[in-house]
This record gives sequence, structure tokens and C-alpha cells, in this order.
Amino acid sequence: MVNTKKVIVYSTPTCVYCHAAKEFFKENNVAFDDIDVSGDPQKAQEMVEKSGQMGVPVIDIDNTIVVGFNKPKLKELLGI
Amino acid sequence: MYDLIIVGGSAAATAAGIYAARRKLNFKIVTTEFGGEVATSGDIENWPGIVHTNGIVLASDFRKHLKSYNVEMEDGATITKVEKMPDGSFTLQVNKAGNGTTSYQSRAVLITTGVHPRLLGIHGEKEFFHKGVTYCTTCDGPLFQDKMVATIGGGNSALESALMLNDIAKKVYVINRNPAFQGEQVLMDKVQEAKRIEIVYNANTTKIIGDQFVTGLTYDNGDGKEHQIDVQGVFVHIGMVPNSGFLDIVEKDRLGQIIVDGLCQTNISGLFAAGDVTNVPYKQIAIAAGQGGCAALAIIDYLNKQKA
Repeated sequence: MVNTKKVIVYSTPTCVYCHAAKEFFKENNVAFDDIDVSGDPQKAQEMVEKSGQMGVPVIDIDNTIVVGFNKPKLKELLGI
Repeated sequence: MYDLIIVGGSAAATAAGIYAARRKLNFKIVTTEFGGEVATSGDIENWPGIVHTNGIVLASDFRKHLKSYNVEMEDGATITKVEKMPDGSFTLQVNKAGNGTTSYQSRAVLITTGVHPRLLGIHGEKEFFHKGVTYCTTCDGPLFQDKMVATIGGGNSALESALMLNDIAKKVYVINRNPAFQGEQVLMDKVQEAKRIEIVYNANTTKIIGDQFVTGLTYDNGDGKEHQIDVQGVFVHIGMVPNSGFLDIVEKDRLGQIIVDGLCQTNISGLFAAGDVTNVPYKQIAIAAGQGGCAALAIIDYLNKQKA
């Protein structure tokens, strides 16, 4: 089944949970936009505004915000 | 019934897994999160044979090495209890995040659950977690570009944090409650030379303050006044606490470290431990890996004697 939800991952290159989250999406054939907030203060601000906090990763699935690599929650939101 | 269950998933577990696989034990690795503290280590330049790597790459190399031996790994499952059965085997209670609970039986168990960061235990720390307060500079540091930040601590991990932030932030305070650092000279030299780092010695951090996010911290340096600095980020690196709380059958020292002998044996026959969770001095990836190998070989001896 092809996932049609829009998935955005706000990440930094040195964050292990961001890598883990991206691996998880790849393994489950979920397409996502990867935004590296370390090089983009504007996007970093967008992430902080969306999530109300400054930890990465922040994952946006059709405007539902998940903070951290919360696998059960991601599975639930994606229906996988 | 497994021959062995390895609890935890980083350097010690990987080394033990490799040795156990080469001896064709019936075993699996069960870990809450593969990679552990190695994965968040940032640059690594003291792992023999590799001049320079980083935590994410090394953790992924560990995983690849285990895969090459087809080691069965359950990542995302947490062992909540280990019990010794009357026949000498062990029952492990497992919490599979989001997928209920189960239990495993094994003839031997190796604990390699490592450590987690120590908290300051001060006002504002919990309230501002991930709102400026973090325990992982490599993860969250890049979000503090051109901001004022403070690293709290006096060891290698605090020094590494300050050096990483020196390349990102506008200014980095290092708040050390001692009159000197305890760490590698090469790191101390780099911190002394770094242009954006200001070191505050003999300072106990007393409060983290803010509104929606962190705006500053206060410290006490014994002069009777409360000192305040304005920072948006507080990076806490004040040491580690062993992940041994789920084990109530084993002997630990006053820090909660599992007491092991030279063969990584605990006081419970068949229950072994290796790496940072034990009382072996110096928490290093190379030492954890060495202990993992030693534990696997000792476990093989133990299992052979059981069969005989």
C-alpha cells in the first residue's frame, strides 16, 4: 500500500534518533521530506513553533506533530 | 529456551554477539534502542583501527557486523525483569513497545544495558527539557546557531560538548563546579584555546529560568551572591547513571553499577554483565567491547559446564 500522507522530518545530521526515524520510514516505504534545521534557522524556527520545543527529530504527519522517534505513535498515525 | 539472551545493544552487546554467533549459540539480542550512548557520542577517534569515525556511523557498523552473522535482534523491546528459575535458567519479562508484553527463557543472560545521563535535579530542569535544556549536544546542538549557551560539567563529555558548541553558538559558558577539569589533556587544551568559550570554575548551577523557553541560569560560587547568566541553551553533561534499575536479583555497588569479576560474572550463577553498566572503571567503547568479548567466552564455558 502506498502511503499518501504528507510526512516531514525536521532533523539535524548528528541526531541519532533522526537517523533512526528516517530509516524507519525507508523500511516502511513511506516518502518524506527531510529538513535539516541545523543549516536553516528559518526552518528551525518553524519546527519550534510547530512543536513548542527545541528537540529533534520533530515529525509532521498531515499536520499532526510527533516529538522524538516514537515508533508506536508513528505506526498508529501511518496505519502500518 | 535460548542458550543466551543479551540485554542491551551497543559496544558490549555487539562484541558478545559476534563471539556468540561464531560459536553458534542459540541466542538473541534484546534492546530498547540499538546504539546506546555510542550513537550519541559525536566524533570518535579512540576506537582502534579507525582513525576517525562518529557515533552514528560506528553504531551502524556495529549493526552491520551483527547482521553479517545473522544475529537475531529485537530492537525496541525492553526487559523489565530477570528471574532465576529453580532449574538454574532465567525468565525475562519483555515489554515490546506498543505490542504488549511477553517472556523469554534462557540458560544464561548477559546484561549490557549501559548508562543514561545524570540529571542536575534543580528547579527548571524538567520544565525546560527540550525547551533549551538537553543532555545530548550532538543531537540538539545544531539548533543553537549564534545563540548564548552553557555546558554544565567538568569531564570529557562536557569538554566535547563545549567544543562542538564553540563552532555553532555565539558564546559558550562552561559551568564547572570543581576548580579544574577532569578529562583528556588534548580536550582541555582545545577548550582553553577556544575563542567563544568562557569557563566558570567552582560554580554550582542552582536554577534554570525561562518563560516558554530557557532564558538563563543561576549559579552559586560560594561568595554568597546569586549569579545569573543569560543563555538560551543549557547542555547538561555531569556524568552517567547505570541502567540497572530493572534488576533486583543482582549485587550492585552504591552507584548502582553491577559488580562483576574478571570473567564478567555477577553474584548470580549464569547471569553476566559487561560494559558501562558494570563496576569496571573507565567508561570507554573499547573497554565495553573488550568486556563483551570476554563475557561471551565466559558464558560459553559456563554453558559447556552445564551440559557436561
